[in-house]
Amino acid sequence: MITSFTVKVLDPIGLHARPAGQLVKLVNESGLVVRIGRLGQELVQANSPLRVMALKAKSQDELLLEIEAEDETAARALAERIQQILKEL
Amino acid sequence: MELQPGTELLGLGIGDTAVRAEVFRLKSRQRANPSVRVGTASEETERLTRAIRSVAENLEQLSENPTAANADILQALAQLVTDPELLRVATAHIEAGMSATSAITAATEEFAALLSGDSFLEERANDLRELGMEVIAKLNGLDSPELPTTDVVIVAEDLSPAELARFGSNVVGVVLQGGGPTSHTAIMLRSMGLAAVIGCRGASQLVDGQQVLLDPAGDRVLVDADLSLATKAIQLIAKNPEPLIPVRANVGSLADAIRASTTSASGVGLLRTELLYLNSQRMPTLMEQTESYREMFAASPEGPIVVRTIDVSTDKPVPFLTTDYGDLVSPGYTLLRDNRAFLAEQLASIEAARLASGREVWVMAPMIQSSAEALDFAELARSCGEFKVGVMVEVPSLIQELGDLGDEIDFVSVGTNDLSQFLFETNRLAPLSPELLSPWQPKLISALREIADQCTSQGLQSSVCGESASDPVFAIVLAGLGFDSVSTANSQVAAVSSSLSAVSKLEASGLAALALSADSASEAKAKVLAGLRDLGLGS
Repeated sequence: MITSFTVKVLDPIGLHARPAGQLVKLVNESGLVVRIGRLGQELVQANSPLRVMALKAKSQDELLLEIEAEDETAARALAERIQQILKEL
Repeated sequence: MELQPGTELLGLGIGDTAVRAEVFRLKSRQRANPSVRVGTASEETERLTRAIRSVAENLEQLSENPTAANADILQALAQLVTDPELLRVATAHIEAGMSATSAITAATEEFAALLSGDSFLEERANDLRELGMEVIAKLNGLDSPELPTTDVVIVAEDLSPAELARFGSNVVGVVLQGGGPTSHTAIMLRSMGLAAVIGCRGASQLVDGQQVLLDPAGDRVLVDADLSLATKAIQLIAKNPEPLIPVRANVGSLADAIRASTTSASGVGLLRTELLYLNSQRMPTLMEQTESYREMFAASPEGPIVVRTIDVSTDKPVPFLTTDYGDLVSPGYTLLRDNRAFLAEQLASIEAARLASGREVWVMAPMIQSSAEALDFAELARSCGEFKVGVMVEVPSLIQELGDLGDEIDFVSVGTNDLSQFLFETNRLAPLSPELLSPWQPKLISALREIADQCTSQGLQSSVCGESASDPVFAIVLAGLGFDSVSTANSQVAAVSSSLSAVSKLEASGLAALALSADSASEAKAKVLAGLRDLGLGS
């Protein structure tokens, strides 16, 4: 089952190297298949730090998350943790 | 031929403490023949996968070492090199007929290109290229050399921050043949507290096992010399709450501006605007430019923000500007005049961002060669917005004409890097010799005095934003010569502010006079350091 979420970048520098790395680590630890990207554009694999950084998402940008998970609770929990990473450090 | 004991190799010192140890040369990784394909596509992919795995394992092992100073950097590098997308793209290249070596090179370049245009990510792109080189070394059996476990001074042409991160505590110093004082590597050397001499071209003659005295305070390496010959570094004692003249920050991106706001900088003395345009195939719209400037202005530390209009040289052509100037290395203002519509739009977006951010904004043009060019720029700038208007003094011919500009412009800012290259008639793109890296050249100091004097008599505000202003002791000389402010790299704001808080105006003038009385760069520096000690300002 694929669940979609919207997250917002709040870090003033944007989605730069450090949060991108944390995000990828979180996705890898979850074992779930996650894609991320700008609304209306092709999404990228969220287990790739290079693809995530190349989104060049800036502060206040909204991003779409697609999470493949058996139950929606796990997906929602992951989305919430990803939002925490995108918050101001 | 082996260097004689006592031979002096000049460069630019980082750190205060001299060290003595054996030389260990770190050779640039050899370039492998990229076109040789060893096996079938699946065999090449398998080789590549193993090489990547092995590079990552090395990094993880290094990060687990309790003495690793930068474990998180090493882990981030391991994550980068094992990015599944990197392998996927490289595998596609192998399937299309490339060798593993060519495939990883192509893949790292593709991702590096995707990351370009943002200073934070630009650094990661460099890391990625370095990692690609390591994978290639593994593929071709040219592993990065084992570092010795005894105390050594590492000598190399240049080092990446990733390479620096691996050094253990037995690396007591670093000598680089290349490198500039505000390069990433220099900043990392400072933060690691490693003694170093960079831009030391003579170091190419050093051989493994040779004893050297690394003397950063003396900006030199001495072959087989005793520690007693080390130059004593000066510790300045800040006595005033504020620096003698304002210290501003040099900024080139939003990330820089955010970093600058965490320092004690009074505003931005040089906001470089090239980044916005260099990687753009089309001209950014007025709205895009405005938004980018507004973000940078809002993030900048309190105080005026001095914006330099685009500075283009032929080594960094902007795709949408006319830049065909034959052999002219630095077309400078000629180029801006020929692209007047562009310049007007840049100024209009800076004005819109000024209004939106409510900040005090000054604008200046780079590479101005004559008072006529300065007047032309001033007229255009004033028609576009409410700025203080100034020019950069980088070309010696402008110095004589500053006398015509008192009523026409508000300020000048000296770019000492380019000015010294023009004074010494070297090519802007040629590697800097140690002599040119040093701001203490008598010829440069007397040119600076002339600029400061002209500005005083013309009622122009004057500033120095070149790398020379990042040298805490030289900044005192600049204040003594009569400059009204300095602007330095973010990493140097604290050091320069503190040295400028150690002296009075009168003391600074006396020290500047000492610098002016010297016949060579090393004498000028030595005289000023001795002067500071005589005044009881440093120990």
